[in-house]
Parts: sequence; C-alpha cells; structure tokens
Amino acid sequence: MNTIKSLVLRNRYTLLVTVLAVYVLVLVLEGAITGREVRVIDFDNPFFDLIVRNFEEFMDDSRQNRDADQL
Amino acid sequence: MDKFSLLQYRALIRREILEHRNLFILAPTFLAPILFMAMVWIANQLDPDDLGSMISYLAMLFNGLSPVEMAPIFMLGGIPFIIVLFSCAIVYLLVTLYQDRKDSSVLFWQSMPVSNLKTVLTKIVTVGAIAPFFYMAVLFGFYLVTVIWLSILGVSHDIEIAGIGYMFMAAVVSLLLLYISAIVATLWLLPSVGWLLLFSAFARRTPLMWAAGVFIMIGFLEDFLFGTQFLANWVESRANPNQYLIMSFGDVFDRIFNYDMLFGIVVGAILIAGAVLMRRFID
Repeated sequence: MNTIKSLVLRNRYTLLVTVLAVYVLVLVLEGAITGREVRVIDFDNPFFDLIVRNFEEFMDDSRQNRDADQL
Repeated sequence: MDKFSLLQYRALIRREILEHRNLFILAPTFLAPILFMAMVWIANQLDPDDLGSMISYLAMLFNGLSPVEMAPIFMLGGIPFIIVLFSCAIVYLLVTLYQDRKDSSVLFWQSMPVSNLKTVLTKIVTVGAIAPFFYMAVLFGFYLVTVIWLSILGVSHDIEIAGIGYMFMAAVVSLLLLYISAIVATLWLLPSVGWLLLFSAFARRTPLMWAAGVFIMIGFLEDFLFGTQFLANWVESRANPNQYLIMSFGDVFDRIFNYDMLFGIVVGAILIAGAVLMRRFID
C-alpha cells in the first residue's frame, strides 16, 4: 500500500495520470454496465430533420441525384 | 463539526470573498445598472400612451395570481446574471488554486492550521452557494428598483398598480428558485468543478489550455483506442440546463436524489480528491 502511495504521489504528473485513469475507468465501466448509448446530434424542426448519423446517406443520395441530372 | 472548524470555514470563505470580490460582487453590481439603463432607454423610445397601456397590461396580468406559479417567468430576467455568474465561476475555478501557487500564498496557508481539504471544499462552497447569494442580492435590488420605477410610471399614467406588487412577489420567489438552481447546478456539474480545480492545482501556466487540451485528448484517445464514446456520451448527457434548473419547489428532491446526480457527485469527488492531493506539489 505504501509503495503504491509513494508511486502515485511521486510527482504531480504521476498523480495527474492516476486521477485521470481512475476517472476514465469509472466512467467507462459505468457506461458499459448501464449500456450508455452512443448518441448523435439530432436536430428536429417542422421543416426538416437532421441526424448526423444519416449524413453519409444524405451525401450519397445527393451525389446520385447530381449524377442523374448530369446524364 | 466543532466550533473551531466552523471558525476556520468562516475565515476561509471570508478570504475567498475578499480575494475574488471582482467576480462575486462587482460583476453583478456593474451588470444591474447597465440592464436598468437599457430598460429605461427602451421605455423612452416608446410612445407614452403605449408605455402606459403596457404597464396597465402588466399590472392586470399579475393581479391576484399566485407568486409561486408566476415565479418561473421572472427566472428569464435573471438569465444575464446567470450567464455572468457561470462565466465568473469558470474563471474562479481555473484561477483560484493556480493563483495561490503563483503568488506563493499557498506557503502561508499551508503554514496555518487549515488542511488542503478544507481549503478546496471552501472554494466549492464559495462558487456553489456564496457567489450565487451575492448575485441574488444584486438581482433583488435590481427587481426592487425596477418595480419602484414601474410604480412611478404607473402612478404618473393614472394606472391601478396593485398588480405590480404581485409581480414583485413573483420576482422575489424566482430569486429563491434561482438560488436553489445554482446550488443544484453546482452538484450536477461537480465533475466539471472537480476537473477545473484539478487543472488549477496542476498547471504551472495556462490552466485553461491544460483543462481543455487534456479533456479533448482523453476523448480522442478513448475513441481511437477502444472505439467507444463513453466520455463524450457522459458529457453530453449532463449538458442540458433543464437537468438542474428548478422551476418549482416540488422538483428539488427529485433533482437531487437520483442516480445520475449521485454518480456525478462520486465522479466529481474523485477529481476533487485529486485537486486536494495536488496541492502538496508547490512550484
């Protein structure tokens, strides 16, 4: 225990890395256990819907439309 | 808590107020007259008859209504103050421990019978409960002056101004809601408070760059190494002001005692513990 304590408190950088590691570990474990979903930016309004996940589909559609227009 | 500890906390809070009175007292004190002058200027641009009918409408609207139910409307009037409080809180949290090391006053405070834990806890109490108290006090003065001004205008236009009294009561209740919201917001945003304090205690220079840079880097590393976005999700899930704004007194218990709030306090406690331990490294 004393070895760990002296290692963590050796200097400011080891302490920072330890705190950040604990912070990330707790968050990732909690996220994995509770199944926190990956969220994307959803922007709804009466005129159109923008969902970032669909952005690539939207780009593909517009590319196909442009090619069709050129033909 | 014994009497000596209470005296220590009282002295530490007094110190914080004296050292940061620009952020906690002068900032809202300058903002209030500017907003009042802007209101007077706008009123002067209006036609006197339109102004009279507007005051009459306001007095009629609030007359006899419950101040508790109408209070959330006046929370909108506090938005400029909340924005300034939020900005000042970020500046304070980033600077406070950094400044102690920069001007070497940390050596003096560590020679006093005050632990690092007490010092850091005092800073959190200051930003979460003391600073909002000053802002609400200034906002109360602002509402009081505004109501007196509206009453004078109402009397000069021969308007029944009883409703303005109800309006003032609703404004006062809104201050209480705003103050509770500030305390709940501090608890909800405790991980952010801890993060800023940690880098304030760590950085030798530019604590803002460290705090922002490391945050972005960790998020990037998680995505790059593990392909997950738990950190980004975590931040996004706590970024909505509706989660800590209290619109009715009945909401307080639900907002404080829920899983997300308590987990946030645990995460915040990890970072605050880091900031307390970091205080032992003096440049």
